[in-house]
Amino acid sequence: MMNVNRFVVLSKSVHIGQRLLAGNARHAGKEVLHLRQRRSFKTHPRNLAYAKDLFLGQVNKAEVFPYPEIGNEEAEEISQLVAPVEKFFNEEVDSAKIDREAKIPPETLNGLKELGLFGIMVPEEYGGLGLSNTMYARLAEITSLDGSIAVTLAAHQAIGLKGILIAGNEAQKQKYLPKLASGEHIAAFCLTEPGSGSDAASIQTRATLSEDGKHYLINGSKFWISNGDMADVMTVFARTEVVVDGVKKDKISAFIVERAFGGVTSGKPEDKLGIRGSNTCEVSFDNVPVPVENVIGEVGGGFKVAMNILNSGRFSMGSSSAGMIKKLIEMTSEYAATRKQFNKSLGEFGMIQEKFALMALNVFVMESMAYLTAGMMDRPGLPDCSLEAAMVKVFSSEGGWICVSEALQILGGLGYTKNYPYERYVRDCRILPIFEGTNEILRMYIALTGMQYAGKVLTGKIKEMKKGNIGLALGMLGKKLKNSFGSSVDLGLTGKDGVVHPSLAESAKKFEQNVGLFGSTVESLLYRYGKTIVDEQLVLKRVADVMINLYAMTAVLSRTSRSISIGLRNHDHEVLLANTFCGDAFFKNNYLMTQLQKHSPENNDANIKKIAREVLEKRAYVCSHPLERTY
Amino acid sequence: MFCPMVLPAFHHGGVYRVISEGDSFLRTFVSRNVLFPESRRDGSTMKCARCLLQLQCLRLVGQSARSAAQHGALLRSTSSSQPDMLHNTQVLRRFHGSPACAKRRPVPAEFINEDDKKRDKSLVTHDDLFEQVAKEVKTKATFNKVVDVFIKRDIRRRGHVEFIYAALKKMPEFGVERDLVVYNKLLDVFPKEVFVPRNFIQRMFNHYPRQQECGVQLLEQMENYGIMPNMETKVLLVQIFGEKGHPMRKYQRIMYWFPKFKHINPFPVPQQLPEDPVDLARFSLTRIANDLDAKVTVYQLPSTDITESGEQIILPHIVGIQSPSQMQLLAQHSPSRPVFVEGPFPLWLRKTCVYYYVLRADPTPPDEKVEEPFDPERCLAFPLQLDLDLDRDFGDEESFDVEDLDEGPVFAMCMTSQGDQAVLNQWISGLQQNNPILGQVPTLFRLDAGPRELQGPADTESAHQHRTDPGPQREERQPEEDEEPRRSQGAKW
Repeated sequence: MMNVNRFVVLSKSVHIGQRLLAGNARHAGKEVLHLRQRRSFKTHPRNLAYAKDLFLGQVNKAEVFPYPEIGNEEAEEISQLVAPVEKFFNEEVDSAKIDREAKIPPETLNGLKELGLFGIMVPEEYGGLGLSNTMYARLAEITSLDGSIAVTLAAHQAIGLKGILIAGNEAQKQKYLPKLASGEHIAAFCLTEPGSGSDAASIQTRATLSEDGKHYLINGSKFWISNGDMADVMTVFARTEVVVDGVKKDKISAFIVERAFGGVTSGKPEDKLGIRGSNTCEVSFDNVPVPVENVIGEVGGGFKVAMNILNSGRFSMGSSSAGMIKKLIEMTSEYAATRKQFNKSLGEFGMIQEKFALMALNVFVMESMAYLTAGMMDRPGLPDCSLEAAMVKVFSSEGGWICVSEALQILGGLGYTKNYPYERYVRDCRILPIFEGTNEILRMYIALTGMQYAGKVLTGKIKEMKKGNIGLALGMLGKKLKNSFGSSVDLGLTGKDGVVHPSLAESAKKFEQNVGLFGSTVESLLYRYGKTIVDEQLVLKRVADVMINLYAMTAVLSRTSRSISIGLRNHDHEVLLANTFCGDAFFKNNYLMTQLQKHSPENNDANIKKIAREVLEKRAYVCSHPLERTY
Repeated sequence: MFCPMVLPAFHHGGVYRVISEGDSFLRTFVSRNVLFPESRRDGSTMKCARCLLQLQCLRLVGQSARSAAQHGALLRSTSSSQPDMLHNTQVLRRFHGSPACAKRRPVPAEFINEDDKKRDKSLVTHDDLFEQVAKEVKTKATFNKVVDVFIKRDIRRRGHVEFIYAALKKMPEFGVERDLVVYNKLLDVFPKEVFVPRNFIQRMFNHYPRQQECGVQLLEQMENYGIMPNMETKVLLVQIFGEKGHPMRKYQRIMYWFPKFKHINPFPVPQQLPEDPVDLARFSLTRIANDLDAKVTVYQLPSTDITESGEQIILPHIVGIQSPSQMQLLAQHSPSRPVFVEGPFPLWLRKTCVYYYVLRADPTPPDEKVEEPFDPERCLAFPLQLDLDLDRDFGDEESFDVEDLDEGPVFAMCMTSQGDQAVLNQWISGLQQNNPILGQVPTLFRLDAGPRELQGPADTESAHQHRTDPGPQREERQPEEDEEPRRSQGAKW
């Protein structure tokens, strides 16, 4: 028996070894190809998109396989950087104190500045670290150990100075970036107003050109400005009068406003549930004179600037959440191993085990998604990864919330006390689904962007079908019948030219099947709703959820294939996680898509809307009390 | 089955109109045992029987307080020397309900009997009894007194059916038509156990039909006034007519339908309307507007002033309502087109009628409508419109084909006790504080003759024609619509 076993193991290892070699070779080959591609991309802007193609039922595997890697020098650089930052966060940052006093002490801020964390992505010529998106994501993993610091840093560089970085001209960069990168000046992003979240039309702050034409005078106030109190340089969005085709119009413009210009006042800091150490307050502008050369981009082009800043800042939330949960896993597993109940350690109970598995799975998926997206963004050209970044944000913010809450649950009542950091993590984490675009809005973005893309491609076909083109309709029917009889969709992920490692073949098949079904679901949705799908938020939510799951499956498959191929430590665990996640997501997707194929009375949408309508009409819970009687 | 539910029950008094109709409707059904399947009826009677004994015992205790209150007036007026005894006899009588026992019970208060005998030997109708006893005041106490007088006059309760009919007729006069206690007391006039069928033949035929009919009549009157019987009623009915008599059936039907229809009106009018005209106006306006955002403003409180010349001036109340969306509509109103103050329109709240005035405009003509152009740079996060040439498929069209009639906006409403132009002008200038546009918009007053009796459709027609010639009924009457363009004194430009 033993012998047989050993034989099996041996033969397996040989087998795996062979596979690994093959995988490596293949991988190397791809790398060369990839490099060549890179050069050609420099001249042609990339128009390939991975996520959008999923809406057509296609997998653009060249985009996501193999999993992006960083070069050796970069890897070395990052390991040199990570160590001191980690040390600093472990030894010098007192998160409990920051939370209690609702202030990050100046010496901590100075430490962060010395480490260069205020200019991670600012190019070296402007005094920053000049790191790539991938490296930024890696550092975010550590900075997220304290929510307040993470938010302060993010408000400074992910959105605050991003405008200057991506849309500013050379003079503006020269003038502002060095001081911002060193942390001498702190940046803030001022977009939100009392009456507006994502609604640009309700921006009331106005910039009027002075008589001499040299200054803009900004008037208005902005709400919920992170770093509002301590920012020296602000990216402010305001209405300006622009002449378009001879007609005067109000358009949004972006300005660099220094506090030193005068007229900038900040209100009382908000008392928040979490991220208490970060500063959030109202900022008012009273006739603030801003020189015309401080307009970012062109006058009236602020909308695009704002969109680009917001879209580019989101991807790092995946790695931040992952970093936080990794830390939580360490802390809670320590507890679960030592705490005894009924002469068993806590970790021996199934329900506790489930929580650890859940956390591990979530971290794994978040990490995979975050670094895949960061890698895609780091490719040359101007890759538009906003869709992918939004998916990372939605998945990781919700996963993070669940994990943090489960971690607290493992400790039970202890976790609920202030003696442990879990309650703080729970509070801090609650902001993730809210800021940087609420998850609801991002879901709309994900679904609608994809629908718009798919609609452009499919309009002709759908119109033909509506006209009653029998050949086309029969072809569709045949395809549907074929699918329903279980013939699997083959998108080329496995098999001869496959990019997924054979040990993940089954998961890859599930993914392909989902993608195929998703393509036809999107088509039928476009057929059914056309452009009115904008108003079908419940449908769009499901579309977005399927989409997020599909992207997560991609990321996991890609990452794990690479890990197996290059023989990373513990890649068998990755295989385990990947297969578990894919199986789970497969079922969820199937459920969601079955609902999507139904009409609103059948999938409960009509009821859900009706319930909400009746409640909102009353503005209260509608039912009579169960103890009430009528006779 | 759902026929009564569809009835427009939204207006005043709609609740029991629906109920009574439901009941007549039901009668045909229930008599065929459709709505009361055998098991249900058995269940309820079983429960009833169980309750009976329990309740009677309870009543021995519980009655004392109630009966004391009920008969308080009687006791006082008759200055009976043995109140306790009177009380006891009642309780005893109820407990031993059979006529055989009744004969042996102590003779009730001698005093009253003597008195009544002397006076009312020649009693013709029971109406007279009511008139005689309650000569001055008609209240619940006197009504109870009459009932007590009747009960004590004759052990055998001769003529009790006639008495009950008379009492039912008199109830509204005494203002007790909505008093359950009084109904129960009236039901108590029936002798107990006499009319309960004792064998299957009696049960088969209509046993004591007049008495049963009278009992049903009593319950029907309760039903018409929307009074729900209680457990005491049930116990009495069982004692008087047995568990399967017609009154019991009637009781069961009432108990089946009343709770079902109790909350059928989504806009219930309280039984007791506010007395204060301002409060009443506030209540009515919120009721018409039915908008949680709408804000009621009291522009003027009612008061009386005496001028230097000694004349008394009564300032009417002015209460208005306006919602933020109405304010927004008004702000967007084009100042070139007039707004109208119209009224009075009646609103019925149970038996009261109040009048309100509206500020409205004609619908915007289609050529003046400006559609807000779509701004692609409106939403920072996601596209608000898709750039697709595909419309919704018929299969997913869930809206009905409704023909929309453009009715023109109503900007505000008000109520006042004196609907002349001067007063309404005060309202408009009050509104102007929050709606500055009213300063630029021409305001035309199109006022009808003031509050009148409710008229049939034919009458309104004629009234409408009347309005064109200068009517004598109201000095502050305004000229009519067709005169508007020429008229300027009524318009505030």
